[in-house]
Amino acid sequence: MQDFLELAVGAAASGCIYGLLALSYLVMIRPTGVINFAVGEWAMIAAFAGFLLLTGAHWSYPLGMAAIVAFMLVLGWATERIAVRPLLDAGAPVLAPILALLGMLVVFRESISLAFGPDPRQVPYPFGFGRLELGPLAGSYQSFFMIGVSALVFGAAWYFFERTVWGKCFEAVALNRRAAALMGINLSRVTALSFAAGSGIAGVAGILIAPNISAHYLMGVPLAIQGFTALVIGGVGRVEGALLGGLLLAFAEQLTVRYAPVPAGYAQGVPLVLLMIFLIVRPTGLLRARA
Amino acid sequence: MKSIALGLGAAIALSALAFLLGDYHNDVYRKLLLWIALALSYNFVFGICGQVTFSHFAFYGIGAYAIVILLFTAAFPLPLAIVCGVALCVALALAVAIPATRLEGFYLALATMAFAQLFIVVLNEGGAITGGTGGLASYRLPPVLGLDLSGRAYTVVIVLVLIGTAAVLRRVDHSWFGRACRAVRDNPEAAAAMGVDVARTKVIAFTLSSVLAGIAGMAYAFVDNTVNPPIFGLENAFLVLFMVIVGGSGRHAGAVVGTVLLYLLPFILSPLIGQHHALVFGVLMVTAILLQPRGLIGLYDRLARR
Repeated sequence: MQDFLELAVGAAASGCIYGLLALSYLVMIRPTGVINFAVGEWAMIAAFAGFLLLTGAHWSYPLGMAAIVAFMLVLGWATERIAVRPLLDAGAPVLAPILALLGMLVVFRESISLAFGPDPRQVPYPFGFGRLELGPLAGSYQSFFMIGVSALVFGAAWYFFERTVWGKCFEAVALNRRAAALMGINLSRVTALSFAAGSGIAGVAGILIAPNISAHYLMGVPLAIQGFTALVIGGVGRVEGALLGGLLLAFAEQLTVRYAPVPAGYAQGVPLVLLMIFLIVRPTGLLRARA
Repeated sequence: MKSIALGLGAAIALSALAFLLGDYHNDVYRKLLLWIALALSYNFVFGICGQVTFSHFAFYGIGAYAIVILLFTAAFPLPLAIVCGVALCVALALAVAIPATRLEGFYLALATMAFAQLFIVVLNEGGAITGGTGGLASYRLPPVLGLDLSGRAYTVVIVLVLIGTAAVLRRVDHSWFGRACRAVRDNPEAAAAMGVDVARTKVIAFTLSSVLAGIAGMAYAFVDNTVNPPIFGLENAFLVLFMVIVGGSGRHAGAVVGTVLLYLLPFILSPLIGQHHALVFGVLMVTAILLQPRGLIGLYDRLARR
């Protein structure tokens, strides 16, 4: 039991990261239908920004994090401007921006590889190494920090979608683009905002995960797959689904590594198998969208 | 009759080229021919039938690993190994296609990406059967009908695989099935209303192109006489998609043009930007989608019409 509780904190922390990436997909898919596979690269760019500001320039953590998130918002907006808006404006099929974003994924990754080289880069922990015990639950400072920040982001996202007029605009666009436009909602502003928010959220995930795995130019695609798996498990309809999917995925992974009698390498296959099963058996995910 | 003569002429011309090139260029040339075969078959499922999949390169790998394992671990005779390898590709393609092609748009792409990644995991963890991360190496193609097929003679085999792939795809594309595929791509509801079985069309298109990729993979197994997991990774699945889009999706000539350009580009660019040619691929891909959705071949059409 002790063993399980120890594992639970670590798994919950990774689950929050997957959940954040799933949320990043979700805020873009809801209003536009565009699956942006470059979210992993966004997280990677934020990790490298963390390396530059926190490791290189020794900025204080809160200041550095705020600067990185601000930068990510601009980057998301710019990505939308370059690769999505011209296609949506021209009335291209929804697959066109998805493929253009795949091209952007390669552009992002290769630019980082060109600028930083192939070696992993260290990003510091906000509270250093250390172990925190809260009753029966114990884990590293970073695990609790990840859970705390993710809880804040999810709380904010929930509040935005459920309680603000802008959130209702997003929902209206998700339900029916044309009707929403007729009601006076500015479609291109909603699209731009959704990409900026998606990038910001992916950036937070990138900064949080970077101290554990180091910033590396190939870290993006695995994160993108795990985030998408979390999204598919939870369902694209609701914010809570993204978090639930992320947590379920992380626990499935960690429990397989710890307790299942298979070689450790096969544990990498867990998200892939879950992704295939959920896509095929339950494509709407566990939580359905509210009607 | 005319198309047989055309195929024969192309086969002779492409084979003759192999004998004019030096050893190094011959190696580059063979791989180019295999990439063209892959791009042609990918163009069928993506460009003509409109299904985005990322499992194409995995099937190339399945073909390559299958032939090596069947020939050398299981010690099958060559013809039987080829038949069993193709049968394996058909079975796996159907197993993926029947559930997965129900998925719309990019969800299919992600399901097939999961399959492709799972294939890599299995290769890495396969122990003695797949050779793990190092793969399988130091085997040689046994003599076929008493002929030693190595060096330039093997390039002729690859030319035949390419011509065969092109011939099958051309034939299928010009049949009612090719038109059914285009109808499914352009408007599935309308296709269904016209009596096209949409689900079956997608399954057959996916299976056909995957099996052709598997056969190209079998030919690849004896190009370098080594197969290992990194060769069949996701990178190359992206690349074949980029080749088809940059060249012009839905057109056989487009697939060929795109492949030749993107395959040869790194050789031209490497003195300038080293190993970072993928950056150029990404930029080309985005530019093509934004400015020229019909690809280079569409550009050519427009210029030719003037």
